[in-house]
Amino acid sequence: MIKKIDPRVKLLIVMCISSLGLAFTRMPMLLAVFLTGMLLSQVLKADLFMLIKRIRIILYLFAVLVIIQSIFVRSGDSLINIGSITILTTEGLSRGLAYLMRVLIILISGAIIATCDMRGLIQGLVQMKLPYDFAFMTSIGIKFLPLLMEELKDTLTAIQLRGIDIKSLPLKERTEIISYIFTPVFAGALTKAKKLSLSVECRGFRAFDKRTSILILKFSPVDYLAITLTFLLTATLIAANQYFI
Amino acid sequence: MNEFIRIEKLFCSLNKVQVLRNINISLNKSEFVSIIGPNGSGKTTLGKVVSGIIKQDSGDVFIDDKNIKDMSLPEIGRKIGYLFQNPDRQIFAPTVYEELSFAMKYKKTATDIIEKRVNEILNIFELSHLRDASTYSLSQGEKQRLALGAMLLNDPEYLILDEPTTGLDPKRKYELSKLLDSMVNRVGILLISHDKAFVLKHSHRIIELYDGSIINDKKN
Repeated sequence: MIKKIDPRVKLLIVMCISSLGLAFTRMPMLLAVFLTGMLLSQVLKADLFMLIKRIRIILYLFAVLVIIQSIFVRSGDSLINIGSITILTTEGLSRGLAYLMRVLIILISGAIIATCDMRGLIQGLVQMKLPYDFAFMTSIGIKFLPLLMEELKDTLTAIQLRGIDIKSLPLKERTEIISYIFTPVFAGALTKAKKLSLSVECRGFRAFDKRTSILILKFSPVDYLAITLTFLLTATLIAANQYFI
Repeated sequence: MNEFIRIEKLFCSLNKVQVLRNINISLNKSEFVSIIGPNGSGKTTLGKVVSGIIKQDSGDVFIDDKNIKDMSLPEIGRKIGYLFQNPDRQIFAPTVYEELSFAMKYKKTATDIIEKRVNEILNIFELSHLRDASTYSLSQGEKQRLALGAMLLNDPEYLILDEPTTGLDPKRKYELSKLLDSMVNRVGILLISHDKAFVLKHSHRIIELYDGSIINDKKN
């Protein structure tokens, strides 16, 4: 039954948790959104483990960003000092953890969206009055993500096959190598997008103004229940945030 | 005699499909071996398992008597050069020069030696005029030559070439042919190819795969 939840309901859930994740600034509230997201992803049978496995190459980058967020904030009480130089402050730690929470919330949102079948997702967006072109672009974007991860993995393999042990390199060189990993993937994505646009145009994409669809989504009682629960949860989290302020 | 790669009872599946079944082969450094077979017979998978890119389900692969299960990818990369079927997959630097000098730069090779060796490869592969060109603007043939050149600069003891003649015109194919001839006694070569004429011209031994199994292994 859960698997058959309307893609529009899943989009609503994702919209709510990711908006709350971006809007809230206090650590306890971000943690509450994160835990709610985790719970919902489990109810919707999202494969978080697979997602983590797929993005494990860039987890290192996230960790670097969290550290950067933490050490460049000077306000707050000092936590770690080396001589007279303050390395980490309470505010820095708090901002770093908040950034980490937001990243995790976005990842959970991605895992929930990944439970939708692509055709249903496009139709959901179209029935939410999004122009078909935009819905199609969104679905292509989502479809491209695993391919991009695959390419990141291939580039990393190619670098290692040149005899370079990334783990044994000093931090400066390791950071340099990150640019070697990402540049071809972004350049490849642009080339692919160009080829894909040509290919869809050749197949008569947008040949006619009006499109019809054999798939029409309809809300079931479970969907209405899920929508109500989502609004209730969101309202509760907003109220809790107001109360704590 | 010179047994460099030994494959024993190798089984491998991809996405729950059995791709390789009970492969047993020994490859010597003095041999030019070709693997042929129809699409989906497991040729590329075999090459990727040997170079550590894909993990096998069971069985062992030994490189220089060391099981690859105990070797990291960089360790394997220092012994074996693997040329991907699609060169885009192994070109990652923004310019031709950076692509060729990449490995030497991180292995702390002296700048004058990097310069000398890169220039040699640029000349051999007729890429000198493209030294500072963007790697994204190269033709398929140029990418193929660049990938091969970058791989050779790593001084591998054994080469695995997956469809190296794809995208090469007859002149470039002839140049590649000459280059491989000149390398035969220095490094072992495993060629994965559909190009029958190329295979027959170079190979000392031809192994035929069908549906993941070896159905023929003969001297040429």
